[in-house]
Amino acid sequence: MSKKFRIVLAGNPNCGKTCIFNALTGTRQHVGNYPGVTVESKSGSFTLNDMEIELIDLPGVYSLSSSSPEEAVVFEELTKKGIDLIVNVVDSTILQRSLYLTTQLAELHIPMLLCFNMSDDARKKGLKFDIPKLEKYFGAPIAQTVGNTSRGVQSLKDKMVEALAKLDDHGMPMLSYGADFDDAINAVAEKIDALNIEKYNHIPSRFFAIKLLEKDSSAMKIEAMKSVWEEVDAQILHLKNKHAIVADTFMADRRYAMLSGACHNAISFSQEKRREISDKIDKVITNKFLGFPLFLAIMYATFWFTFICADPLMGYIEDFFGWFGGVVGDVWNPEKLPFVRSMVIDGIIAGVGGVIVFLPNILFLFFAIAILEESGYMSRAAFVMDGIMRKFGLQGKSFVPLVLGFGCAVPAIMATRTIESERDRKITIMVLPFMSCGARLPIYALIIPAFFAKQYQAFTMWMIYIIGVLVALIAARIMKSTLFKGEGEVYLMELPPYRVPSFKSLMLHMWDRGRMYLQKAGTIILLTSIILYICNTYPEKKEFSVDYDKKISEVQKAGCDTSALENAKLSEKLEYTISGRVGKALEPFFAPIGFDWKITTASIGALAAKEVFVAQMGILYAEGEADEESEGLRQKLVKHYTPLQAFCIMLFCLLSIPCLATLAIIKRELNSWKTAFVEAGALFALAYVSTLIVFQLGTILQIGTKML
Amino acid sequence: MKDQCCSSGPAEAKVSLAELPIGTKATIVGILPESRGRKKLADVGIVPGTELLIEAHAPFGGLIRVRVLETSMALHKDDAACIVIEKTEASVNE
Repeated sequence: MSKKFRIVLAGNPNCGKTCIFNALTGTRQHVGNYPGVTVESKSGSFTLNDMEIELIDLPGVYSLSSSSPEEAVVFEELTKKGIDLIVNVVDSTILQRSLYLTTQLAELHIPMLLCFNMSDDARKKGLKFDIPKLEKYFGAPIAQTVGNTSRGVQSLKDKMVEALAKLDDHGMPMLSYGADFDDAINAVAEKIDALNIEKYNHIPSRFFAIKLLEKDSSAMKIEAMKSVWEEVDAQILHLKNKHAIVADTFMADRRYAMLSGACHNAISFSQEKRREISDKIDKVITNKFLGFPLFLAIMYATFWFTFICADPLMGYIEDFFGWFGGVVGDVWNPEKLPFVRSMVIDGIIAGVGGVIVFLPNILFLFFAIAILEESGYMSRAAFVMDGIMRKFGLQGKSFVPLVLGFGCAVPAIMATRTIESERDRKITIMVLPFMSCGARLPIYALIIPAFFAKQYQAFTMWMIYIIGVLVALIAARIMKSTLFKGEGEVYLMELPPYRVPSFKSLMLHMWDRGRMYLQKAGTIILLTSIILYICNTYPEKKEFSVDYDKKISEVQKAGCDTSALENAKLSEKLEYTISGRVGKALEPFFAPIGFDWKITTASIGALAAKEVFVAQMGILYAEGEADEESEGLRQKLVKHYTPLQAFCIMLFCLLSIPCLATLAIIKRELNSWKTAFVEAGALFALAYVSTLIVFQLGTILQIGTKML
Repeated sequence: MKDQCCSSGPAEAKVSLAELPIGTKATIVGILPESRGRKKLADVGIVPGTELLIEAHAPFGGLIRVRVLETSMALHKDDAACIVIEKTEASVNE
């Protein structure tokens, strides 16, 4: 049997950790979420000689403190039992900063391997390291690797084999914080030792003593250690009096002092080459005048790439599902299980197909986002946009997802993962559904040409989009000053040097997101497709007010068009189904906003996906298969409704939740069904109230009550 | 609303990071106790004694780009206002 080992990858953000992870595991990865937080968890596996390695890629952090959800996760993971080896990836071009985390990892006294990444850049910069000296200082072997390529990965693997062979015999020293500080640490450590906490007895108490002296919130949360707090406070007071220090940062100070000592003799500059190309690019990209137009151009390119380039592929997928439904229909004898047959063909294949059609969008979008992110542009975009977005209670990184929301809310909400601040991310997700998505477009495309004179059409469309944007910004502003009030966290964002993204990382990233979309949104859509199909079909009407079949055959004999009669039959059938009944029952509630039962039914159907609205109206108005180009349906709509009502329909659709997939993705990203339903409810309430006001005011003022 | 962060206390006598022009090199002297993220700042190297270089200001205000320990960090003006510095060398870049 092969031996199993558990290795964790730890390191700063932007140190190239993910590249190392990808190079080691390839496609054998699993991406998930840490329970209760929106931090992504990544694990993978690979075989090394005859050993089976489980590799965990921890989120990138600067420190083992707990000032962000990521850091709390890393603390939690690293203090768990069962880790055989920590591979600490450090950016060797900025060693002093990177090793700050290393000092804390060393305190865990878990065998460690240092991976000096970006070693080619370091060489170019003229940096020389005294590797044996550094190895001795941290008690950990050092492997040198090269950022985005897999060069050096073999040497990393060799070192891993070596390290795994002598796990029990590592030479990790206790790093000293200086005389008085070590005394304080030891005093607290002794008290912790006395408690003998089972859960943490694999980690030196010194580690926890240091964390407690720093008042680290993760360490302070450990219930079993509360009894040593008194000692901790006494020691802090003692140190304060003796050294005139500031309590929460003195450990950080000591670590930097420690490192500058360690690095002093081990790093040397052979030549100084400071002005990097990266800085030159930034002179243009984040320029006061050019920054914003360049950002808009790059956004436009992303948008274009996502929605124009993916378009032909979407056509193929649509054709495929049409063909597939046809094939199933041909193969499946209509006599056999007719209910199930039509449910599979008209419900499941059509419904799920309708969602998978968006897969190319998702893949292309995330390919583009991965390029922006890995190249380092994303943080520049955030830097450029921050000033504007902040005025509305958002921040720089909110902008990209919001723009993507014009395409589809689902990938846009997924794109909010780039926002580190939990609060800003929440607000961004909450207001994203107001950005008028592509699925709402068919509704506008159906209604606007029917009710509005040519010269007002573009303006009406533009107005709808603008209303969406304004509502989103105002809602964000209001949320920031009410629900999410209070001082935010300190805002810190690294602007890493520009790097050429590796193709492998891009593909893996794209594949992760695509798979996630298929899995999560797919299951929900499958379910709603079935439910909607059932609601639109059952109970089946057997007896009709008119004997349509007889009439149809009569008309057929006369050689006239039967479609009107067939559609009338369909309409009566629909009125009898669950959807029809629900629509009728809810009519009084929707009447004040100008909806009759037909619009009500269609709006309920549109909860699943906004495109359904058009299809449903088509069925109800007995036009059979309708799309936004249906002239017949338009004429009927004009006969039945006023422009005011038409506008109310659009407004309602704009403000209510775009589709169930959005709801599912909100749940997924915020990890709470409650939030998702509160969001859906709030959107509905807002849509209802706004539409009510518009309709009632319009009726009183006689605006749009007659055709223009 | 913006500059309330450090308007009280002895801050006025010293220069804060938020007031420096682009291209200035400075050494951190201290971080005001009212700063909301002292520890987070410390973790990226913003502690007394570290040298900084002001690299850029964001086009629409709000953010300042600072080079600290050879890394570019963007931080908000409100937070920068709590970082007290001492100029080491001023250059006229812009």
